[in-house]
Amino acid sequence: MPNSFAASLIGVVEPCQCRSSGAASFSGGLIQPEVLRTTSAPLLPIGLAAKESFMDLLLAPQHLEFRDRLRAWLAANMRRPWREELRDPAATEDGLMEFRRAWQKKLHEAGYLGMDWPREWGGRGAGEVEKAIFEEEMAIADAPPILNTLGIGLLGPALIHHGSEEQRRRFIPPMLSGEEIWCQGFSEPGSGSDLASLRTSARLDGDDFVLNGQKIWTTFGPWADWIFVLARTDSKDRYGGISFILCKLDTPGVTVRPLRQITGESEFGEVFFEDARVPRAQLVGQIGEGWRIAMTVLAYERGAMSLAASARYGRDLDCLAEACKEHGRTSAAVREKLARLLVENEVMRANGIRTLAYFAEGKAPGPESSIEKIYWSEFDKRFRDVALDLLGPGGLLLRTSPDARPDVDWAREFLWSRAGTIYSGSSEIQRNIIAKRVLNLPQDAR
Amino acid sequence: MRFELSDDQALLRNSTRDFLASELPLEKTRSVMEHSKVGYDPAEWRRLAEMGYVGLILPARVGGQGLGAVELAIVLEEMGRACVPGPFLDVVLAAALVAAASADDALVREVVAGRKLVTIARDDAPYAGTSAAAVTAGGGRVRGTKYFVPFAASVDALVVTTADGPVLVDGPFTVTPLQTLDLAQRFADVALDHAARPLGGPAELARVDRLAAVGASAMLLGLMSRCLETTLAYVQTRQAFKRPIGAFQALQHRLADMLLRVESTRSAVYRAAWCLSSGAPEAPLACAAAKAYAGDSARHVCGEAIQMHGGIGFTWELDLHLYFKRAKTLEQHYGSTEAQLEAALAAAGY
Ligand SMILES: Cc1cc2nc3c(=O)[nH]c(=O)nc-3n(C[C@H](O)[C@H](O)[C@H](O)COP(=O)(O)OP(=O)(O)OC[C@H]3O[C@@H](n4cnc5c(N)ncnc54)[C@H](O)[C@@H]3O)c2cc1C
Repeated sequence: MPNSFAASLIGVVEPCQCRSSGAASFSGGLIQPEVLRTTSAPLLPIGLAAKESFMDLLLAPQHLEFRDRLRAWLAANMRRPWREELRDPAATEDGLMEFRRAWQKKLHEAGYLGMDWPREWGGRGAGEVEKAIFEEEMAIADAPPILNTLGIGLLGPALIHHGSEEQRRRFIPPMLSGEEIWCQGFSEPGSGSDLASLRTSARLDGDDFVLNGQKIWTTFGPWADWIFVLARTDSKDRYGGISFILCKLDTPGVTVRPLRQITGESEFGEVFFEDARVPRAQLVGQIGEGWRIAMTVLAYERGAMSLAASARYGRDLDCLAEACKEHGRTSAAVREKLARLLVENEVMRANGIRTLAYFAEGKAPGPESSIEKIYWSEFDKRFRDVALDLLGPGGLLLRTSPDARPDVDWAREFLWSRAGTIYSGSSEIQRNIIAKRVLNLPQDAR
Repeated sequence: MRFELSDDQALLRNSTRDFLASELPLEKTRSVMEHSKVGYDPAEWRRLAEMGYVGLILPARVGGQGLGAVELAIVLEEMGRACVPGPFLDVVLAAALVAAASADDALVREVVAGRKLVTIARDDAPYAGTSAAAVTAGGGRVRGTKYFVPFAASVDALVVTTADGPVLVDGPFTVTPLQTLDLAQRFADVALDHAARPLGGPAELARVDRLAAVGASAMLLGLMSRCLETTLAYVQTRQAFKRPIGAFQALQHRLADMLLRVESTRSAVYRAAWCLSSGAPEAPLACAAAKAYAGDSARHVCGEAIQMHGGIGFTWELDLHLYFKRAKTLEQHYGSTEAQLEAALAAAGY
C-alpha cells in the first residue's frame, strides 16, 4: 500500500501546456507586480486599523467545528492506528486491501469522502479547506488510508468537471463506496516525464474504441477493477490527439502484470492492451480532449498537501526523538540532526497553512504548488535518511524482524521516500515548471 | 483565514518601500557604510523616527504606533530588501523590553522621537563559547564585559542581559569598537561597572528573543528576495554561448530552488509573526524555525546570487556582497542558528 502521498501518482505536466490560475497569489514580493506608489512624501499610516481585516491564520469557527466533529468520529470509529494494522502478524497484503476497502466504506457512509464534490454526485458539498483539514486529521490520527485513492483523488474530479451526466451516475457511487477500484493509466514505457509522447492508441471502430499499447507503473493495477487511460486518437496531433477513456480491466485483450518495487511489494504493475474493445460511451469529454482533462485533474488534486504531510512527519519525528532517547543517542550531533528536521518540518507546515489560507479565501494555487511538491518529497528523503542514521543498524530492520521497532516501519519508509521525487512529476520536472511558469525564464538549453 | 496582507498592511509595505527608495537608495547606503564613523546617518535616523517607524510596535503611552509583530516583519522585510544600515532592529527590541517593564517611559519617548538610542547587550563572550565571568547585576550594579554590542559607540543607554535578569543601564560607556566584515551593523565591546535597573525576568526576555528571531528573519527574507530578483534580471540579459544564461537548465533548477527557499521563508516568517501577535501557543517553535531556516536560506540564496553573476559578482562595486554580508551577520545574531535549533528542540520537548 502506498505511502499516503501516493494519492496522486500522476504523470507529468508539460509546463507549456498547463494553465495557471494565480501565479500572483503566492508571493507578497517577488511575483506580485511591483506596486509603485507615487506619493512624494510617504507617510506611515498612523492609527492603522490593526485589528480589522488582519492577516489571520486561525481556522474559521465552522471549520474548527468540522475538525472537532471529525476528530471525535475518528476516535470513535478507528479500531487502531494504521501502523498497528500493518504490524499485525496475521495481516496479509490482500487482507489489508480488504481492510482499507471496509474503512473507506465507513468513511463514505459518515460523509467524509468526495469532500468538495457537489451533493448531487454523492459528495459532501464542502470545500478545499475541509478537504485539507480531513487529510491533516487523518495523518494526525494515523488513520488507515482509503483504498480507492486514485479514483477519488483523480478520476472523480475529472468526471465532475468533464464527464457526462450518465458517467457520473454510473461511476461515482461505486467509486466512493469502494466497490470499484480505479487505477491511472498515464505513463508508458517510453513516456513518463514527456507524457504527451504517449503511444497507446484508441481507434474508433463502430461504437467501440479499440485499444492497443502498454501502460506501466500503474499503481493498484494488480487490485483495480477499472483503469482510466490516456490514449492516442490522432497520431499527428501531439496534445489534441489524446483522449481520456475508461476501461474495465477484465475486458478481453487487457492483461495486468504486477511489477516488483524496491520495497519488495507489488503495488504497481503494467497493463497491456491488445485489441481491447471499449464502448464509445466510456470516453470522457470529447475525442481529443484528453490532455486538457488530464491537466485539469492535476491542477485540481493539488490540495494543501503540506499540512497533512507535516502532520505525518511530525508524528514520525516524535517517534524518532523518543527512540533516540530510549537508545541513549543524545549526542550533540544527533540532536542537531533532529533539530534541523524539526525546523524544516515546521516550515513545511507554514507553507501548508499559507495554502490553506489561500483556499479559505477562494483562491486556487497555481504552478507554485510545484514548490510544495518539491519541498515535501525532498524533505521526505532527507528525513528518512537521517532517521536510519540515528537508529543505527536497527534502522535497517524489516517490520517482520525480531528487534524491529514497533513505532514506525523505518526501513520501508526509507525505501518509499525514493518514490515521491519521481511520481506526480519528478523534482526536475517541477523545477522546469517553476523556471518557466513562475520565473519566466527563457526556453531551456539542454 | 487569510495569509495575504490586509489593505492597511499592504499600504504600510508600499509606503515603506517608497520611503526607503527615496531616502535610502543603495548609493547613499553605500556611502554611509563606507564613510560614516557610527555606521548610520543620524539625520536619516530622525526622519525614520518622525515617520513613526522607531515606535512601530510600542504602545501609544510612549508615543508608539501600537502595531504588532506582523507589521514589524513587513517593515523589516523592506529594510532587508533595501539593505538598510543602522540600529533599527536593535533599538526596537531594546525599547520594547524597557517599555514592557515600564522602567523608563521618558527614555523610551526620547528613543521613539529619534533623539536617543538604546540597544541590547547580549553576548558574554566574543566567540560564543561559555564565558568564565558572565555579567552580573547584584546589588543594583552591573559588572563585567559585553561583547558585540550593537552600535554601542552611539547609544545613550543599554539593555544588558545578566545572570540576574535583564537590566537597564545608562551611559556613558567605555567601548572598544570592533571591525566586522559587515559595514551595515557596528559593534563594540563594552566594559560595565554601572548602576542598573531591573527589567523583568526571563519571560520578558524570551518574548523579546522571539521578536528578535522574527525581526531578523524578516530582514533575511528581504535580503534574499532582492538578491533573487536581481539575479533573475541578470540571467535574462547576460549572454553566453549565444543565449541568455537563464536558458541553461543548470541555472534554472537552482533558481527554482532559490524561489523555494524564499517563498518557504516567507511562509515561515509571517506565520511566526502572526503567532507572536496573536499569542498562539505554537509561537516558540514557529519563531525558532523561522530564524533557523531563514538564516540558512539567506546565506544560500545570496551566495547563489554571487555565483550566478560570475566575476562581477565578486566585485566591491556590485551590491551583492552587501547583501551576502548582512545575511551572514543576521544569521549569527538575534539567536544564532545553533541557539534556534536548541530552542526548537526545547519547544518540541525533544
Ligand atoms: C511509486 C510510483 C507510482 C507510480 N504510479 C503511477 C500511476 O499510478 N500511473 C501512472 O501513469 N504513472 C505512475 N508512475 C509513473 C511516474 O509518473 C513516472 O515514473 C514519472 O512521470 C517519470 O517518468 P519515467 O519513469 O518515464 O522517467 P523519465 O521521464 O525517463 O525520467 C528519468 C529521469 O530524467 C529526468 N528528466 C526527464 N525529463 C527531464 C527534463 N525535461 N529535464 C530534466 N530532467 C528530466 C527525470 O526527472 C528523471 O530523473 C508511478 C511512479 C512511481 C515511482
